[in-house]
Amino acid sequence: MKRVLLLMLLLSLALFPVFAAAETEETAEEPEAEMEVDPDITLVIWADELRAPLMEALGVEFTKTYGVGVVVQQLGFGDIRDNIKVAGPAGEGGDILVGAHDWLGELVTSGVVAPLDLGAKVNEFTEASIAAFTYDGQLYGLPYAVENIAFFYNADMLDSAPADWDEVREVAIALENAGTVEYGFVRQEGDPYHFFPIQTAFGGYVFGVNPDGTYDADDVGIDNAGSLAAAKWLEDMVVDDHIPAGVDWDTYHTLFETGQAAMMITGPWALDRLNTSGVNYEIAPIPGGGKPFLGVQGFMVNAFSDNKALAIAFLTEFVATSDVMYEMYERDGRAPAHKAALARVSDERISAFGEAGREGLPMPAIPEMSAVWSAWGDAVTLIMQEQVTGEEAFTNAAEQIRNTIAGN
Amino acid sequence: MSAARLKGGASAPSSLLNDDVPRHPFFSSKPFRIAIRLGLLAILDTVSLLFIWTLIANGRYPLAIVVFLVTVGVNVAFLYEKAYPFKWFSPGLALMIIMLAYPTAYTLYVAFTNYGDGHLLTKIQVINQLESRTYLPEGAREYSWTAYRSEGGEFILWLQSEEGDFLADPGEELAPADRVPRNILGPLDSNGIPTEISGYQRLSRVEVLKHLDELSAVEYGVAPDTARVSSLDAAQQLEQRYVYDRQIDAMVDQIDGTVYSPVEGAFTSEDGRVLRPGYWVAIGTKNFVRLFTSPALAGPFVRVLVWTFVFAALSVFLTFVFGLFFALVLDHPRMPAKRTVRSLLLIPYAVPAFISVNIWRAMFSRHFGMITTTLESIFGSSPLWLADPFWAKIGILIVQTWLGFPYMMLICTGALQSLPDDIFEAARIDGAGPLHQFWHLTLPLLLVAVGPLLIASFAFNFNNFTVIDIFAEGGPPMAGTLTPAGHTDILITYIFRLAFASDRGADFGYASAITIVIFAILAVVTALQFRYTRVWEEISENV
Repeated sequence: MKRVLLLMLLLSLALFPVFAAAETEETAEEPEAEMEVDPDITLVIWADELRAPLMEALGVEFTKTYGVGVVVQQLGFGDIRDNIKVAGPAGEGGDILVGAHDWLGELVTSGVVAPLDLGAKVNEFTEASIAAFTYDGQLYGLPYAVENIAFFYNADMLDSAPADWDEVREVAIALENAGTVEYGFVRQEGDPYHFFPIQTAFGGYVFGVNPDGTYDADDVGIDNAGSLAAAKWLEDMVVDDHIPAGVDWDTYHTLFETGQAAMMITGPWALDRLNTSGVNYEIAPIPGGGKPFLGVQGFMVNAFSDNKALAIAFLTEFVATSDVMYEMYERDGRAPAHKAALARVSDERISAFGEAGREGLPMPAIPEMSAVWSAWGDAVTLIMQEQVTGEEAFTNAAEQIRNTIAGN
Repeated sequence: MSAARLKGGASAPSSLLNDDVPRHPFFSSKPFRIAIRLGLLAILDTVSLLFIWTLIANGRYPLAIVVFLVTVGVNVAFLYEKAYPFKWFSPGLALMIIMLAYPTAYTLYVAFTNYGDGHLLTKIQVINQLESRTYLPEGAREYSWTAYRSEGGEFILWLQSEEGDFLADPGEELAPADRVPRNILGPLDSNGIPTEISGYQRLSRVEVLKHLDELSAVEYGVAPDTARVSSLDAAQQLEQRYVYDRQIDAMVDQIDGTVYSPVEGAFTSEDGRVLRPGYWVAIGTKNFVRLFTSPALAGPFVRVLVWTFVFAALSVFLTFVFGLFFALVLDHPRMPAKRTVRSLLLIPYAVPAFISVNIWRAMFSRHFGMITTTLESIFGSSPLWLADPFWAKIGILIVQTWLGFPYMMLICTGALQSLPDDIFEAARIDGAGPLHQFWHLTLPLLLVAVGPLLIASFAFNFNNFTVIDIFAEGGPPMAGTLTPAGHTDILITYIFRLAFASDRGADFGYASAITIVIFAILAVVTALQFRYTRVWEEISENV
């Protein structure tokens, strides 16, 4: 028995190098596609479906110039954030990650992403995009695109955007009475993200802001006077049937496209379908000075990468240039975060979105934000389903949010 | 078949003569079979050795030990005569341990730790990360740099600053340019940078990029006068910010001397400042305390729990009733086109829930949904399927019945066919009608057979996250509750949303604790139900 076991062990040890060698050979073979490429270093980029082709194209150029291979691995956008938390500390995962600024709360507190130093290049990017990728006073990402929602109106029905939300109501009533449209203003049931600009127009907010510009989780503004006024506005619009209930994202866009509705709030991702539909629309800043959330897309560097300095150099030397940033805009269609590239954008719709987002607020990246969405969304849904008044819904939501933050 | 097969391996000479025989007697001989067995076992051992090796390299010791023990067990089963019977179920047992028992034990372990966002790393990783943080002391010098590399792969830097140029070598004092012997320097370029230094080749920008990580890992010069490469353009006199003191198990801030001691997986100063990131440690029963004191339990928990039981029970009942009905109809001898109908009825089971639930949701939609518009055109009004608490519940039960009845139909069909004919014949002779037969024979006998499956189905629906989440995400929302909850939320969707709301953040420790509590509830419910199935069994014995 013992002898046989010993034999097994010896056999295994004899085979071990064969297997081990086979494994290392495989990995070493990959970057040999180009002749001059250094076989020892490969930059791995994790990108989602939308950005992967772009990153591949950039990678080919980078390989040509610097002789370093670039491999792009495609993951679902949210999967990049979830997987790096496990893969990073295990010494795996991409060296560079495509992501959104509001992941920073999780990724920075977990020590998964590395700080970046852009040096003087910081000034080449819009202040809002740099602020979004700054967490606790430290920059963690290279922003490339900013997105936000804006106010849309049918240019055949309205000459200009209403000045504030009371005027939106008046215009809606006038158009409905004239029989021009079925509904003046349309929106999705629930969906606090698209309600936030209306809320801020009335003086509402989600989290208060500390003197240093960071969000204060102890100051929940869902039930301040402004938020309640916005909730009351929504309640009145729904009760008086100027906003239809039970509508989903697709439906409210269809209502707008077919001329059954005159006004809505939506984002750049709806431009394609709006253009296809042929509706004559205009994009304007949110009435009443409402501030939409800003979502900033950018690149982060894996803190456990063996090629950290190289990855940072790739971003600062190669990606952070006006040409590459403009190329990314051309492929992606989101407003560039790079000032020079933004200045080159001639598409007025993108400029209009930029205008609407000028006063926008970065989506809070603090972990407490996760306590907000469902309570807040429920409140908007309850108003639209006419189950409770706006004041009840938002007061209760604020309570729920405070409970959840305190309970966790 | 072949002659060898008929004669067996024993009669070697004759099979050698018939050379159309494919199998040489050697291959069926005992030494050969042992060799094969040892060979396969050796391959298996090698693979698991490689696996264990990787696991150890990643610091996953518990799993490495389990895999090791399982491998040893498989070896013993195949090599040790007395353990011979284990051979047959060792593959199953091995997989059961690795895929089921180990993850369960691991979940239990994680439930007692703070593993999650902010505490994803090990303590060693955190110490390494904190120790690699640097700061720029006041009056620190900043240089631009040029790198040179020797044949042996060592680096030196040529530093340029306002205070002059320096030659920087790791572990040696920075040498001002005028003190460097002229003869080791090659000719200077237009910026005053040597084009080569004896034994070292100047790196081009492209080459620098490739070696950037090696370059920035090294400290050049001797403390306190040092330089580190901080970016492609700059080298700075950076100092290490935090130093780990092994004696007192604490991080010491080199700027102001603050001592950060470990508190629940994070280095914390006396006045409560925390160094991020934190690391992964055992925190006792804190996750369970957090669950039982969470506002979730003070909130609409009872309402959610009641609906969870109602949903699971009604789902099982309705799917069983419809499944049994179709099974009985299809079991009838005079039913035409049985096979076709049965295949068609299986479709809801074959289509993934992700697709069919979404289609149902669209059909229930308020403005354009087929069900809503049809009801409106017939009755003039339709319930608000997705907005009304009562009708949303009805809607979800309709969907679940649609999804689940084919399964029940399948198992009932199987069970019906196994019922003995003679009892029914006796019943007919005794004058029992079809209904009487159904209630007093078919159903009790059937329940004995499918009872355990009904319990399994109950347990499944108790945790039926997919259907609830896709149909209305637990909505419509309840008004005026302590925590956000929906009228169709079941326990698992309610707690999931509360703990991991909006798909943000990961708290594996807390999640594991919740899993274990839900597992415990289910275990109790299931155990109770199994007791009641015995009642059916007694009935069947009396039939």
